[in-house]
Amino acid sequence: MAVIAEKPRPAAPMHLPGAQRERAGWPKFLPRPNPWRRAWFLESFTWLYLIWSIVPVALAVLFSFNNGKSQSSWQGFSLQWYVGKGDTSVLHNPELHHAVIQTLVLAGLTTVITVPLGVAFAIGIDRWRSRTAAGLSFVMIFSFVVPELLLAVALFFVVTQLLRFIPLGTYAEVAGLVVWNLSWPAIVVRARLVTIGRVYEEAAADLGASRIRAMWRVLAPMLMPAIFASAVLVFAGVIDDFVIVEQLSSTANTQPMSVLIYSNVHSAGLPGPALNALATIMLGFSLIVAVLGLLVYRFMTRQERHGSTEALTSIAGM
Amino acid sequence: MGAGEAGGGKAGDGKAGGGEVGAGEAGDGNGTTDRSGMTDRNRDAKSGHIELASLTKRFGDVVAVAGISLEVAAGEFFSLLGPSGCGKTTTLRLVAGFERPDAGRILIDGRDVATLPPHKRDVNTVFQSYALFPFLNVAENVAFGLRYRSVSKADSARRVAEALELVQLAGYEKRRPGQLSGGQQQRVALARALVLRPSVLLLDEPLGALDAKLRRALQVELKTLQEHLGITFLYVTHDQEEALTMSDRLAVMSGGQIAQLGAPREVYEEPVDAYVAEFLGVSNLMDATATRPAGATEVCHVRLGEFDLEAGCGRIDSTGAVKLAIRPERVELGAYELTGGNRVPGMVERLVFLGSATQIFVHLAPGVTLQALVRNDGRALPWSQGSPVSVALPADALRVLATEVPAFEEALAPAVG
Repeated sequence: MAVIAEKPRPAAPMHLPGAQRERAGWPKFLPRPNPWRRAWFLESFTWLYLIWSIVPVALAVLFSFNNGKSQSSWQGFSLQWYVGKGDTSVLHNPELHHAVIQTLVLAGLTTVITVPLGVAFAIGIDRWRSRTAAGLSFVMIFSFVVPELLLAVALFFVVTQLLRFIPLGTYAEVAGLVVWNLSWPAIVVRARLVTIGRVYEEAAADLGASRIRAMWRVLAPMLMPAIFASAVLVFAGVIDDFVIVEQLSSTANTQPMSVLIYSNVHSAGLPGPALNALATIMLGFSLIVAVLGLLVYRFMTRQERHGSTEALTSIAGM
Repeated sequence: MGAGEAGGGKAGDGKAGGGEVGAGEAGDGNGTTDRSGMTDRNRDAKSGHIELASLTKRFGDVVAVAGISLEVAAGEFFSLLGPSGCGKTTTLRLVAGFERPDAGRILIDGRDVATLPPHKRDVNTVFQSYALFPFLNVAENVAFGLRYRSVSKADSARRVAEALELVQLAGYEKRRPGQLSGGQQQRVALARALVLRPSVLLLDEPLGALDAKLRRALQVELKTLQEHLGITFLYVTHDQEEALTMSDRLAVMSGGQIAQLGAPREVYEEPVDAYVAEFLGVSNLMDATATRPAGATEVCHVRLGEFDLEAGCGRIDSTGAVKLAIRPERVELGAYELTGGNRVPGMVERLVFLGSATQIFVHLAPGVTLQALVRNDGRALPWSQGSPVSVALPADALRVLATEVPAFEEALAPAVG
């Protein structure tokens, strides 16, 4: 058995008659390309891309630990921008740590409101077969099509001119974020619904469960991984969001991390490394949520014998 | 076994009229069985009678089920056989309640259930894809339906154990469906339905996803189980062998209608038309002309190319263009020199060794190719490719079929009521 498994990959180009005939026009002086060769170009390109995208982030994280005010020259390791005394650390500067809390509040509230709405939306579109439903299912991808800034400005007008009972600040921010993020649960749950099909609900009905009971006892557990995945997506998305919250925030009290970083980075407000520390915390939240999401998702779908690819794509929202 | 015999007996009465179902006596009197039979194993063996009356279902412009009427006796193993798209699965789903009929009635033990939702019908389904709940283990899957019956916890556990015993899966209670093989999943699906002791079990190609060997083993098992429990089985399949092996009676469907209904032997041996003949296994079909229909004699004289043959069954009173059919196992090959009645010279085109038999393709002088099935008796066959042979088509095996598919006449659809 082992002999079969260790069948060597042909190292040298093999001169198959068929291959030669195909390459009739190949110049004699050039070496015949080996179809089994390593994809050098693609590999180096991939590495280049990874370096290009990771190094700046890594540097930003690194300088949040700088023992000095510089964002470019390393002066030794320190946690002063995180927990240092004085009012320049995230822990002690009210503005900074309020931003952290505001981000978490927004992410939590938005997730709790968006996910149930999105699930209901997905089930509704899946069950309601008509022209209108087809149109509405296009609305599902609304936020992928509409520029975020356009939505943000539109929401600003709605909140300040039409729905004046919604004050700018946390309420408006949550309302805007729910609108913007509704697509995630809707699309992820809908995809899962399509995969599941109707047969499990039919089986439950056949065994004596009414429609509502079948939904609770069969559909809900089967949708759980998708619901969870979309919650992760929404939560992580809100942590990163800037455009909408920037438009809909009011005072400094309702500025989440992203807005605070933006408004300070070009002005001489807060010291640089403190902002780096804030950005690092933001990144940390996102990473924790993503990793936790992936792990829990894999745990939830362990009986389904799919590879981790599906988990990855679900987390990524595809 | 008792209930199975009872069902078979009814079927026997029913087919006496040559394709017509005398289901009247099966229907009344015992049709109104007490519903409490649902929770009683020793239920009246007569419950589980199904009657479909001009059942119709359309999907948009497509007519999936075009006015089917049939009766299934209590305790009978009844199959709906046909190619995909013939309406057999839709018929099953109508009985289960997953689809709403556009017209017609569905009576189970004399009660019209056409408007009831699936969870209020005393029928259970075994799905083609099994539809086991992946997040529940085997025991929880089987116990699923018991929650909606007034069954005590201890009772429920006992019944689950019984059901798993019945399908020979005791000891697998804690496994998840994903950890079982296809055959085992199929058994769990069966146990999950049987634990509720339905009067009718609907099976939608339950063996479709299994390999041939397992399928054959489970066919026998399913049939034994059905006879043992005395439950009515309404079985949907596209596999003619499956339908022939297990059914007490079967209906061959085509285009949402019943092409022929009868006992397996009857449908196989006496197909009403070319479609049924072709669908139930390989049938050698030949175009011929009926020269002299049976009058005083019991045979119809037909002309196949320049050969005059006698055909002894089927529509022997036909004249003009007809189709001749003969089953491969009835085609006899002999030495080329042999002459006599109903013999046609031919040449062996191809031999296919099947193990228990050899399939021989013979090109007949009139220009048609027939399949012959020669049982393997341990000796080598005297023919090879190109051998000239004399092919005997016995009159009692040669069937005359009408060329046009009969327009689903009254005779083919069972009389209702």
